[in-house]
Amino acid sequence: MTLVKRPALLIPLIVLILLILVPMALPDSQYEQSVLLWCFLFAIMASGWNLISGLAGYVSLGHSVYLGIGMYTGAILAEAWDVQAMYLMPLGALAAAVVALLIGLVVLRTRSHSFVIITIAVLLSFLLLAANLKSLTGGSDGLIVSQPSWAKELGNTPYYYVMLGILVLTVGLVAFVMRSRLGAGLVAIRNDEGKAASIGINTTVYKVTAYTLSAVPFGAAGALWGQYLGFVNPIGAFAILASVYLVLAALIGGRGTLWGPVIGGFLVALFQEFSTRFSGGVSARVLIMGIILILVVMFMPAGLLPTTRAAWQRRKARGSSVKFIDQASIAASTTEVDTSAIASRVTHRGDAPEDILEVRDIVKSFGGVTAVDGVSLTVKRGSITGLIGPNGSGKTTLFNCITGTYQPTSGQVVLTGQDITHAKVWSRAHDGLGRTFQITRLFKSMTVLDNLVSPLERTSPREMVAGRYSGDEVERAREILSFMGLQEFEKQNAAALSFGQQKLVELAQVLMLRPSVILLDEPASGINPTLIDKLATVIRRLNDAGTTVLIVEHNIPLVLSLCDHIHVLAEGRILTEGTPAEIRNDPSVIEAYLGPDHMVGAPHA
Amino acid sequence: MEIVQVLALGLLMGGVYALLASGVTLIFGVLDVVNVAQGSFLVFSALFTWQVWDLLGIEPLLLIPVMGLVMGLMGWAIYRGMLVRVAPQGPGMTVLLMFGVALALEGVLNIVFGNKYKSVTPPYFTESLSIGDLVLPLPQLIAGVVGALVLVAIYLYLRLSWAGRALRASAQNRDGAALVGVSAIKSSALAFAIGAMTAGVGGVLLAIMYPIYPATQYDWIARLLGIVVLGGFGSIPGAVIGALILGLTESFAAAYVPEWSSLFFYGVILLILLFRPHGLLGERTREDVAV
Repeated sequence: MTLVKRPALLIPLIVLILLILVPMALPDSQYEQSVLLWCFLFAIMASGWNLISGLAGYVSLGHSVYLGIGMYTGAILAEAWDVQAMYLMPLGALAAAVVALLIGLVVLRTRSHSFVIITIAVLLSFLLLAANLKSLTGGSDGLIVSQPSWAKELGNTPYYYVMLGILVLTVGLVAFVMRSRLGAGLVAIRNDEGKAASIGINTTVYKVTAYTLSAVPFGAAGALWGQYLGFVNPIGAFAILASVYLVLAALIGGRGTLWGPVIGGFLVALFQEFSTRFSGGVSARVLIMGIILILVVMFMPAGLLPTTRAAWQRRKARGSSVKFIDQASIAASTTEVDTSAIASRVTHRGDAPEDILEVRDIVKSFGGVTAVDGVSLTVKRGSITGLIGPNGSGKTTLFNCITGTYQPTSGQVVLTGQDITHAKVWSRAHDGLGRTFQITRLFKSMTVLDNLVSPLERTSPREMVAGRYSGDEVERAREILSFMGLQEFEKQNAAALSFGQQKLVELAQVLMLRPSVILLDEPASGINPTLIDKLATVIRRLNDAGTTVLIVEHNIPLVLSLCDHIHVLAEGRILTEGTPAEIRNDPSVIEAYLGPDHMVGAPHA
Repeated sequence: MEIVQVLALGLLMGGVYALLASGVTLIFGVLDVVNVAQGSFLVFSALFTWQVWDLLGIEPLLLIPVMGLVMGLMGWAIYRGMLVRVAPQGPGMTVLLMFGVALALEGVLNIVFGNKYKSVTPPYFTESLSIGDLVLPLPQLIAGVVGALVLVAIYLYLRLSWAGRALRASAQNRDGAALVGVSAIKSSALAFAIGAMTAGVGGVLLAIMYPIYPATQYDWIARLLGIVVLGGFGSIPGAVIGALILGLTESFAAAYVPEWSSLFFYGVILLILLFRPHGLLGERTREDVAV
């Protein structure tokens, strides 16, 4: 163990040892232990919440519902089976997980606003259920949870240790998720959910998994908490205030960090205790917690931990010198990497049919407007195919139908012989379809390298629990970066790069999927001519290595020089197709772009 | 005949709900903010009404314009003082800010008014209007009609005035509206003020119908958010439909299966969201299309 080198682990370990010693060193500390128990509970809840709301960015305002489910599971089964409620912690966790799974499947279909509100509605529904299912829950009066025989003698101490144990396990769970591909995928979803799907992250499975896992610590803690309190009633078990306070805890400490919610949980529990004790009861507590919530949101939204970390890094950075990266020469550099070595690493499906991508009679209407009106085209294996057409001709709509952003009104999209018309965006990525975006959509809070290791080639439980950097991704990512001459930028934040560089990084990211067909959406728009040349070189090399490319582009000289075959769209239909030479000399193309007047006596090349 | 009675009561309650929920949905439509403090605004207005009525004994309905104005100004101040700073951080943070406001307000009301039910009982509190077999309690009747009238007035204002057009323009496309000279901040402040105003008016109406105490704000948040989710965020017609569904569900459930009335409504919401994740009249937003 190299704890000395890792103060991030050393400090929590010391705190843990001190917490273990409290009941032994201070035998008369029943009150202090009860306050710390309260702290542990809030730290557990804030950490659990962090899995779905901190990592994936889906703010749940009703998460204490899972504490209540654990409490009721413990109380009801303890009575029925005549056992101690605290032994039923695993069942409390299981019940919470099952309910979360079912609710998650419905609730996670909605986005930010509705999600927040439905989480509140779920909490309130359980409150009403508990109050009304009298035969099971005892109605509003609740249930008494029988106390163990040692209760009088040992007091709070056994609960104290068990709750501390749950806290340690919860932090371990969060740490494990954060280091796994699941965690990386959740952060990607928080950054840009649509983009995450396009690089093969099965967003539904990821979100539902995170939501289900986040309920587990609540359920386990609930079974224990119910017995500690000695009774369970609807208002205590399904309190909306507890849900808000635990969110406040995660917020104060720092959402999305490992230790932030733990620190925040302790602080919020202590705030509550002190404001109740020293300022006159519950009314003052509600007021004080409200004011703290307002202040944190307004002045420290990132939370304590990230804010101090940022301040610390600014201090450290003040003295150090700035490293200058010669961007111009990097942009111009042609890399001396063996292309054939890259080839097998970036493309893998050699046995694809001749027509690798087929679009059959696609129609897409928006209300009364038909943007694409019966387009069929094929992309030959190993070709660079262009799709051009004037503004409003339906290029982007067609592109979106192929990538799955839109569902076509009718028609089929066939990739390597499979009908993918109705496939999810991520499964298209798994099937070998990679795409870039006209306006780049990199994960801006991540480094270039982290952006490159985010794509996933499949959805499987093994993939989700694997470490973020566990396979050969890092090695492959570095190869691709140096193939593109971007190795200098590996550790930069994606947001720090120029737009043109971001386009290259996005292409590199797509290559990590080993796609058989790459769709480029206006790759040359908005970037400087040097980078356009470089992009053309990269595309040619990828093509030499066996990758099929479909380009939508307005830069006609680039398309004419790069493509083997070009399709021209106008007014939602295929106007013509052919080799660059044929397209260059086709009068109908010129007419489509410039209008019929242009033809009258105007000289043109 | 009993069905007609239940139907009428449900529609009257729906009128009050519609007014309150359209405040929430208007704020959302223009600002992208889920105003979870609407319930506390409502309770604030109702308790204030009680205080004035208790002290002076005047007709509570006269306070409608006063409370509308007071809450409108308070909404404007909350927007200019706090929300405008937090808005760029996105919906998760604004909802938490408004929760903070709701808690702080509840705390203040608790300290000032105590944690006890307060009832405004004007002379007509227990009277009813009988039309044939139909018996309509006067407070419900007044509240439902006044609520509907105020809502119609707001709707006409949004449809016909320049400021209303500017608001709707901002709601549809902030940047586009800014380009043609509509200040997003001004229209947001106006929208928030109107939204809070509906709570001011609604608070007076609630005060003559129900006993109120500070923590009842949670019941109101739950109802209003349920309506808005059901109707589709940002859609005023959606809010009206959602409100009528809630009013009718509650009144039918209260008549036939009393203890399940609220749960019934949540059940309806979950069922509808299963098939229409964006609510009945909600539009898919651009970020939804991205996947």
